[in-house]
Amino acid sequence: MFHGYLPMILDGLRVTLSVALVSLAVACIFGLMGASAKLSASPVLRGIAGAYTTVIRALPDLLLMLIVFYGGQILLNRVAAARGWDYIDINAFLAGTITLGFVFGAYLTETFRGAILAIPRGQIEAGHAMGLTRGQVMRDIVIPQMVRHAIPGFTNNWLVMLKATALVSIIGLDDMVHRASLASAATREPFTFYALIGAIYLAVTTLSILALGALERRVSRGVRPEATA
Amino acid sequence: MRLSLAALSLFALSGAAFAQDQVRIGVEGNYPPFSQVAPDGSLSGFDIDIANAICEQMQAECTLVQQEWDGMIPALAANKFDMIVASMTITDERRKVVDFSDPYYDVPSRFVAAEGAFEGYSPEELAGKTIIVLRNSPRAQYLQATYPDSRILAVDREPAVYLELAAGRGDIAFGSSVVSAEAFLKQPEGEGFAQVGETLTLTDSVDGGVGIAMRKGDEALRTRVNQALAAILEDGSYAEMAGRYFDFDITPPHARQ
Repeated sequence: MFHGYLPMILDGLRVTLSVALVSLAVACIFGLMGASAKLSASPVLRGIAGAYTTVIRALPDLLLMLIVFYGGQILLNRVAAARGWDYIDINAFLAGTITLGFVFGAYLTETFRGAILAIPRGQIEAGHAMGLTRGQVMRDIVIPQMVRHAIPGFTNNWLVMLKATALVSIIGLDDMVHRASLASAATREPFTFYALIGAIYLAVTTLSILALGALERRVSRGVRPEATA
Repeated sequence: MRLSLAALSLFALSGAAFAQDQVRIGVEGNYPPFSQVAPDGSLSGFDIDIANAICEQMQAECTLVQQEWDGMIPALAANKFDMIVASMTITDERRKVVDFSDPYYDVPSRFVAAEGAFEGYSPEELAGKTIIVLRNSPRAQYLQATYPDSRILAVDREPAVYLELAAGRGDIAFGSSVVSAEAFLKQPEGEGFAQVGETLTLTDSVDGGVGIAMRKGDEALRTRVNQALAAILEDGSYAEMAGRYFDFDITPPHARQ
């Protein structure tokens, strides 16, 4: 049915998932840093984080990816040539994950910021009044509740990012979409292969929604469901 | 100790000589019968054979790098590979950013349409019709210049030109006569369609046709590639390779007897 291309496409799924998971980790780091900076007392940090989320969310992901992959490479080549180093390759996986992580970090900054702001200020003050240290307040009061508030937005960002990984095929990464395009060219059966990867994406996103839903229920233990009015 | 030092320096020397003769070649994989990818991921096709034959002739250690068409020239510029063997037509526009070898094949372009759908193929007769063509190609430029009253549907890959035609999203397709013959008309999907109208050679100079692209100013490599190309055209291995794929002559005009 798939003319023997199924293993090749499933191997592409491995690439797609690795790009997505590594990008997610990078995005979480940028997101946490961004959210802390936005909520910090320092106007400089707030300014940098504000510029980051504004600029990154305004530009198409593909554009940023091309800038990092080709622009960054040409820049690196010039530096290397000037210093007499050998050619240093920016590999497609690195460029792809850093760019996606950087881009989605901006969206997660907003998700995390909103989640922190949703925690009543009084709870944090109460923690301090009880004599808890800053670290304890963070660990026992802020983070558990922040995770609960952040999950819906986080789920959204993850789903969008998973699909955005298809862009990395333009910069030469051999992901699932790219392999489907090669297989459909060789067999001239585009529908078969695009429908196949469509079903695979659907399966992966369904599993993600179930898993994150279970996580949301777990971190919401003991919390009365908020009134939906 | 002395022995190992000597071995080490020998290794370093051979390493240096080896590194000089490493050539990375950008190829495509989405353009049967010139390049395509098998289920096990291996590349095959006329472009791939040419790339390998040239490497063998140059006695270089070659790595084929598979790259999407849209990122081809930027990747060459960014030093991701040293030359492109991907059926790239030599054009003045491209010559501004890359240097080309002598042409390694030349294929005329031709219209493809449902049999008997049109009586003629002049700009007047195709006015208001949708013509499907590969974007960023000399053929697309030719259509824009010559068929201003037709609608142009530009697609991203040459095989997609015929998929779009078969799907009915355009009235007529304009593409490489080789690709339409091999990858479409000889297949079940191509039934009822035919090559129609005149064959057109869009490259009017001897320099036209399809060449191997290299970074600007890479004269040493260009000379070696041209010598290798001349050698395989001369010794008959070119004709043997072409014969495996095509039942008509694709030899570039300058090399025809």
